Amino acid sequence: MVKYFAKRLGMMLAAMLAIIVLTFCLMHAVPGGPFTSDRKATPEVEAALNEKFGLNDPLPVQLLRYMDGLLHGDFGPSYKYSGKTVNDFIETFFPVSAKIGLITVVFVLLAAIPMGIFAAVKNGKWQDMLIMAVATIGVTIPSFVIASLLIYFFSHQLGWTPAYWDWSAAGYILPVVALGGYSVSYLARLMRSSLLEVMGQDYIRTARAKGLSEFQVITRHALRNALLPIITVLGPTVAGLLTGSFVIETIFAIPGLGKWFVNGVSQRDYTTIMGITIFYAAFLMAMTLIVDIFYCLIDPRIKYES
Amino acid sequence: MTTQEKWAPLEQSSQDREKIWSKNRTFAGDVWYRFRHKPTAIAGFIIIVLLLLFAFAGPLFSPYSYSDQDLSIVNVPPLMKVYRLPDGSHAFISPALTLVGADSGGSLTGTLPTVRDEADKRMTIFDANGTEVALYYGGAKYVVADEATGNIYPSSYLWNRDHVLGTDALGRDILTRLMYGTRVSLLVAFVAVLVNLAIGIVYGGISGYLGGTVDAVMMRVVEIISTIPLTLYVILIMQIFGQQLKSIIIALGCVYWVSMAQVVRGQVLSLKQQEFVLAARTIGSSTGTILSRHLIPNAMGPILVTATMLIPSAIFMEAFLGYMGIGLKPPLASLGTMCNDANANLRTSPHELLIPAAVICLIMFAFNFVGDGLRDALDPKLKK
Repeated sequence: MVKYFAKRLGMMLAAMLAIIVLTFCLMHAVPGGPFTSDRKATPEVEAALNEKFGLNDPLPVQLLRYMDGLLHGDFGPSYKYSGKTVNDFIETFFPVSAKIGLITVVFVLLAAIPMGIFAAVKNGKWQDMLIMAVATIGVTIPSFVIASLLIYFFSHQLGWTPAYWDWSAAGYILPVVALGGYSVSYLARLMRSSLLEVMGQDYIRTARAKGLSEFQVITRHALRNALLPIITVLGPTVAGLLTGSFVIETIFAIPGLGKWFVNGVSQRDYTTIMGITIFYAAFLMAMTLIVDIFYCLIDPRIKYES
Repeated sequence: MTTQEKWAPLEQSSQDREKIWSKNRTFAGDVWYRFRHKPTAIAGFIIIVLLLLFAFAGPLFSPYSYSDQDLSIVNVPPLMKVYRLPDGSHAFISPALTLVGADSGGSLTGTLPTVRDEADKRMTIFDANGTEVALYYGGAKYVVADEATGNIYPSSYLWNRDHVLGTDALGRDILTRLMYGTRVSLLVAFVAVLVNLAIGIVYGGISGYLGGTVDAVMMRVVEIISTIPLTLYVILIMQIFGQQLKSIIIALGCVYWVSMAQVVRGQVLSLKQQEFVLAARTIGSSTGTILSRHLIPNAMGPILVTATMLIPSAIFMEAFLGYMGIGLKPPLASLGTMCNDANANLRTSPHELLIPAAVICLIMFAFNFVGDGLRDALDPKLKK
């Protein structure tokens, strides 16, 4: 198993390298440099800026210099905000995204798993139909529509919550619901179908036959195996929620990493975009790996071959 | 009364005994039968047909174009709260605090001319065909009243006849813009999915069939592409090709084939072990023939389902780009840009958001239902 994970780690590093090179090339393929703006700088100023950031060197040299910085944990300076580094941005904005993301993860788990279990227990009854109808709506309606509707009804019409994120406790409610809506619906559907599948197994009949109550059958026997598919998709879901959503952060004016990323792209702040992309990719890969390790620990049936 | 001959045994021949009495159906007929008998799937299918008609034939019947502006009637909702003026006509209070005249049928006659502003009384005086009416804006609810006596004119609700779904912030007809927006969304979705089908099938087919190192390398590439946030590609491609329909389609085509390739690869991997592939190889078929004539047709079921499921996500992506303000350039309409434009006036004119949002949801539901129905219909295990 150790050998398997060592191999996985090696592949992850190779993929990381490819991502760095790919984003670097993509960024430089975009027409217009970071210093092209409406206000035309004098050629001398532009040359001086290009010289300062080393943009006159051949591309491979720039790439190598960038990767050298990455190895030292340095994402480089921002091209647009003088005196700021990309590390500054990530340190300032990631915690905001991560805090909302973390609350959303808790919300998603607390809502989706009980919903799925309840629907599976009431299989075919109206409670099941109702939960599945809500979940289908949640999966199909785009998050920005959900967010706008939530703002309209709960902030503008009822006045219960602020329409924009204002660091208050009530301000978290709408972004968390809008951000987690899709995941709740998706996980609830997954939980339901996986629990239903497990409930048809022989060992569940055995558990019932030995006289356990239905509650014990589900919590002691069925749930353990039914949770496995949930854990599989949890890795990418958690990574996606923690790194922030472009849409939700823009709609609710949350100063998070996602909003900063969109900002960076429209301002052609190369190093910011690359830094955030690499950070995001590394985060996603790490989460997937952690989930795999977890998987291996909780399910003794899985044997990874190297 | 029952007669004797009714109980006589039928003539039987050995031929009849072997005959299959149930209707003989082809696979396609079978799929259609199962699809037809799923209410949600057939409802989704009908909705898609209606939406196509709405988007492509609708503009022919509309008296407006998507870019016609009429700044005298901005932000008018479909159902207007109107006040009955002394001369028998009606007036509607626009969100910009002007009075828009309307006749009793619901046709708009344009903004009434302002006479003067009585700021101390919190009233604006308008000229309604000779009589002066006052718009009182001091309280929470704005009312139209007689200036001298302060009597509030009776109010009622009228459907907007000229603009059935109302107008937006620039006085453009929302129904017409909705048709163009739906057209853009459906066009983007279909073209993007066709591109994905082409790339995904070829890429996934080759990767799955050749296997080994080729497969490993090709799948690593797919993994790398799917790790980079999708928004990054889209935004970059928009920067290179400019904000137009073409670049949205290119961007979606470049990215979404990844999941298609994975599905095709999985199918080919399991199919290539079967005997008919071995048989084809034995008689000397080339790799291309085996892939195109034997493997891909057999994997068509899951491929079709994935394609139908990709359509909603392509529509979502287009709407999302429009919503973020990096989609189509105005005055072109897409469902996403319409939602985005509506956000500025969300508090006063919610219809501008609710209508395109409802259409987006309708499209998403329809395609999801059809996709679900197709998946069940194409699965021979569910055959009844």
